[in-house]
Amino acid sequence: MSGFLRGMWLIVTLDLKQRVRGVAWYVLLGVFVLLVTIVTVLTVVASNAWDTGGGAVFSVVVFFVLLLGTLVSPALSGNAINGERDTGTLATTQVTLITTAQLVVGKWLAAWLTALAFLAASVPFLVFGIVLGQITAATILISVLVLAVELAVIAAIGVGLSGVLTRPLFSVVVTYLVVAALSVGTLIAFGLGGASIQSDVRQTTIAVDYEALDENGLPPNGSEVPCLGPQSYEYQTPRFDAVWGFLAANPYVVVADASPITFDEHGSPRDLFGWIAVGVRQAQHAPDLEPVYDECADWKGYNGYVGSDYETPREIYDRSVPSWFVGLAIHLLLGAGALAWAWRRSEVPVRRLPAGSRIA
Amino acid sequence: MAGIRVEGVARSFGEVHAVRNAAFEVEPGTVAGLIGPNGAGKTTLLLMLASLLAPDSGSIRIAGYDPVTEPHQVRRRMGWMPDTLGSWPTLTVRAALATSGRMYGMSSDAASDRAADLIGLVSLDPLADQPTRVLSRGQKQRLSLARALVHDPEVLLLDEPASGLDPAARAALRELVRKLAGDGKTVLVSSHVLAELEEMADTAVYLADGETAAPDDVARAGQAARGWRIRSLDADRLSAALEAAGFGAVAVVDRFGAVVPFASEADAAQMLAHLVGVGVPISSFAPAVGDLEHVFHDLNRQGGEA
Repeated sequence: MSGFLRGMWLIVTLDLKQRVRGVAWYVLLGVFVLLVTIVTVLTVVASNAWDTGGGAVFSVVVFFVLLLGTLVSPALSGNAINGERDTGTLATTQVTLITTAQLVVGKWLAAWLTALAFLAASVPFLVFGIVLGQITAATILISVLVLAVELAVIAAIGVGLSGVLTRPLFSVVVTYLVVAALSVGTLIAFGLGGASIQSDVRQTTIAVDYEALDENGLPPNGSEVPCLGPQSYEYQTPRFDAVWGFLAANPYVVVADASPITFDEHGSPRDLFGWIAVGVRQAQHAPDLEPVYDECADWKGYNGYVGSDYETPREIYDRSVPSWFVGLAIHLLLGAGALAWAWRRSEVPVRRLPAGSRIA
Repeated sequence: MAGIRVEGVARSFGEVHAVRNAAFEVEPGTVAGLIGPNGAGKTTLLLMLASLLAPDSGSIRIAGYDPVTEPHQVRRRMGWMPDTLGSWPTLTVRAALATSGRMYGMSSDAASDRAADLIGLVSLDPLADQPTRVLSRGQKQRLSLARALVHDPEVLLLDEPASGLDPAARAALRELVRKLAGDGKTVLVSSHVLAELEEMADTAVYLADGETAAPDDVARAGQAARGWRIRSLDADRLSAALEAAGFGAVAVVDRFGAVVPFASEADAAQMLAHLVGVGVPISSFAPAVGDLEHVFHDLNRQGGEA
């Protein structure tokens, strides 16, 4: 095992050495920090954060770092293997004692570490949230961890595709498309998918016969509440519970859902991430297809109709599956699958060579 | 110590049969030239020997191991110099060689020492601490050769090692290859510059249309009539003498002298004695083409007629 790690680390250091000696990487890092600074300053001004606390600033900066990270990461990883083949250094590595697994895992780690540098550069801006208040160190730690895992997944997809597809340009573009599919495609799939699966709802209402009440709004002669017969009507409702997995697979939702949630006294979330978390968890639950609103049963006397019990967001949150866990599991499967595919396709000696590709 | 053994190896890419039937052996301590026209399958064959490409059929043994089932054992013992010259562009020559050494499991120190030795061996000392991207083609070629030697392999596969080298570097390469063979290594060198192989190869493997020529065909081709180039201080007397000796019809006379086909070396020797005897001032009398080229052309001609 130590032999495996040694060879893999050699690939990682080789890859990193080549990256950090290029100017492009530093320019990219500088632009990244500049953009995060601008966004942080503007959000602080816009949300009046000195008075209202750093919750909004924190949410915006985390999402912005995720956005930039997902934009930068495919470029850092999407040509890891086929780019080496193009420069003619892949085959000379493959004839050494370095195994394909060491090569693929090493390339992935190198791409991930490079992307992590961007995350590290944004940590000061996240810590700024503590200064403004409202945000705890635990929240920042968890958000940074989840962001790191998301960058690992994108790096894995990029390196994986670079091992599967022959042309570097093509694999970088496909990696971007996968990122777009996860970030935007999942929202579209969730919205359209939920709306296209409709269920019939049969709603029954048992209303109080207000006309039969006396002038005080009480049942006459202290008798039972006069009720009208049950009335029902039907309508259709979208079934988001069938497609909530799409929403869970959205990296923004994963990041939002994973950060610790805080509720106010009414059981409502305090920040943007909390509302997203409650929203995605609410989507898990099937709508009641035969709701009964029994005004009579809930009758508590004059002005006493209290209505049926509504669940607070907190109650919904607590009785649902943690969405971030599902989303992260989907992402990890995607990433691991991409790496495994690249491993299989880069194995030498090659038996089946895809048309148009070459070995050295 | 088993050198290289190849039996009935074939490999196709889709409809293209790059190698149809390759069979040959190279003994340890010898240098074999792999000769064939462009597109004959030389590089494909070398890729299979280098454990990068699996043959469709047939068997290969490199130093006694099968590159398909025991690639690790083969890679320990085999050095491969590809025809495409890749190098990590931002690494220095020294770092690139040391990294290659570490990929073969050497410790950092051992790899650095080996890199320093190899830099001297291929005369890249002035460029040792330059990034590899500044190297010229010939310098990259030498770096590539050094990399193939980094783990002191028993079997060396060199794909077009001399292309891009200046005459001095070619001479150095020739000496190095001969020295490696002298140390008991097995060397297979592909090239289509036949004059060059002539000077370093002990044996030759002829590959045409993906098939290696049978030893009998090679022997026959070697014995076929070949042209000898004769130069004289007096071109007119030379052509007159050839005419008189009955070679007027077959001799090709040009401004350098004449090219005359002889069936054997004995015939050639006899003619030389005759020309000198009749007083033609001969300044040069030698085969017009080298042995390898002679066989190569003859086999190609046979292939064309078949």
